Amino acid sequence: MSVIVAKDLCRTYGSRRGISDVNLTINAGEIFGFLGPNGAGKSTAIRVLMGLLRASSGTARIFGKDCWREGSTIRRDIGYVAGDVRLYSWLTTRRGLRMISKIHGRDLLPNGLRLAERFRLEPDLVIRKMSRGNRQKVALVLALAHAPQLVILDEPTSGLDPLMQDTLMMCLRELAREGRTVMFSSHTLSEVETLCDRIAIVRDGQIVEDSQLLALKAQAPRQIVVTLQEQQRASDIQWPSGVDVKYEPSSSPEQDALMTALIVPPALRHRICVLELLGTSTPFMQWAAGQHFADVVIGSPALEVLFRRYYQE
Amino acid sequence: MEVRWPVLWFSLGLCAIMGLLTALLPKILGNIHVMFGKMPMVKPLITALLGVDPGDQMSSQLSQAFLWVHPTVLTLIWAHEVMYCSRMPAGEIDRGTADFLLCLPVSRWKVFSAETIGWLISGVCLLACGYAGHLTASFTVQPEMRLSVSHTMMVMANLAAVYLAVGSFAFFLSALSDRRGRAIGMIFAIMLASFLLNFLAQFQDWAKSVSWLSVMEYYRPAIIIQTGTFPRSDIGILLCLAAIFWTASGVTFRMRSICTV
Repeated sequence: MSVIVAKDLCRTYGSRRGISDVNLTINAGEIFGFLGPNGAGKSTAIRVLMGLLRASSGTARIFGKDCWREGSTIRRDIGYVAGDVRLYSWLTTRRGLRMISKIHGRDLLPNGLRLAERFRLEPDLVIRKMSRGNRQKVALVLALAHAPQLVILDEPTSGLDPLMQDTLMMCLRELAREGRTVMFSSHTLSEVETLCDRIAIVRDGQIVEDSQLLALKAQAPRQIVVTLQEQQRASDIQWPSGVDVKYEPSSSPEQDALMTALIVPPALRHRICVLELLGTSTPFMQWAAGQHFADVVIGSPALEVLFRRYYQE
Repeated sequence: MEVRWPVLWFSLGLCAIMGLLTALLPKILGNIHVMFGKMPMVKPLITALLGVDPGDQMSSQLSQAFLWVHPTVLTLIWAHEVMYCSRMPAGEIDRGTADFLLCLPVSRWKVFSAETIGWLISGVCLLACGYAGHLTASFTVQPEMRLSVSHTMMVMANLAAVYLAVGSFAFFLSALSDRRGRAIGMIFAIMLASFLLNFLAQFQDWAKSVSWLSVMEYYRPAIIIQTGTFPRSDIGILLCLAAIFWTASGVTFRMRSICTV
């Protein structure tokens, strides 16, 4: 069942581009990652879905209802955290929970306080005395307290420490296990990679890729670091097809930066080759077995390389 | 929550100001002819505020009418309105809390209606406190200088209509704006222009021909007190304006996008 359906969605800000021709379908129980650099249009798309912005053209529906006309009904089952969280300075977690309990017509205080405890939040501390990270936690608690069917989070980990980021990830996985849907926007690859089932990449207001994480990983190159024997010369090696040589000892010294990034000791640099492999690693491993290299390290598919390509194209 | 204290302070301020003016104005205005002689601009100003020529000697009734058009009283009431009515949505967008508020499962009409109810309640508190100050201080003046309750109530009804018209207009400008400062600036500028237009209408024919644009044209406590008739048409016009601007504000707020970028 589709929870979010956007068709040819466009939104402009006067002459400025917001999003254009966004087509998106998110199914129930999915954890969907919305990736893109700053200003790509992630927040604009989310704000259209939340009924804060009116689409210039196209349609956006959540639970089969129009996001603009039936926003208040839809929002009963949505938990939303904005990209730039701003809350009332006098608000406390407890007061906020009481407020949303009245709006939802049921007592959300026990569940909310459990969440607050999980996020190590003082329920009676006012917002004006909180750090940015704690304000973010309050917003998360208020968004998740009513156990919504759909959670839309716009860069929710900003300001959170790594431990709290893990707690949030756990909460979101639990929600997905219960059949709830999570839409998660970020420009941090690692968090999307560890959490999401499906990813859409936004660039210049358009979705340039929308795939399952596993399918994307299959497209992503693996980085291979080969350490040669002392007597081996990189120029003598015939690398197999599908391998792209990124660095070998005879390369220009400008590539030292790459070596530094790999934290290779200078003493070893004259023996190191860095390769990129597209596709499965089995044929390469079979070939490498006959080459008597000192060492071969094959990395997992590097989504980052793929994303950089999308961003820079 | 956050408007509780400002409303209290504005109400207490108006109570004190109206009390002071009620007690002091008869004494000050008793010798107004001296001031008219020394400062020729004072008389046109008072004429503009009252809407009638006070003559060389102000009657006790006109002295009491002056209380209801005193710039301090009007400034306090309007400042309260501008503060309150510019909160939604301009103030909320400006400080970034609009996302939180408008993503709750409540329709924008309900949010706007709740804000309106708060504004009406605070208006009742404000005017009631002002009246309480006036009533308390009126015991310090001679009985013949006091306004009758019926006259006072008619003036207050007219003032309440002004309150509704100005507040609705402030709501409308706020609904059109993303910046509270800009909305407040525009409201103050228009109120000041309205005030000046009313003043200029005493001397300039062109100003007189367009004086119907000024809100002060529909608020004449001196005439109410002199004639003792209920200002039905003035109140009717002000209420119509209030209804038009309030509806336009609600529709604009309902239909507009909330942009924070």
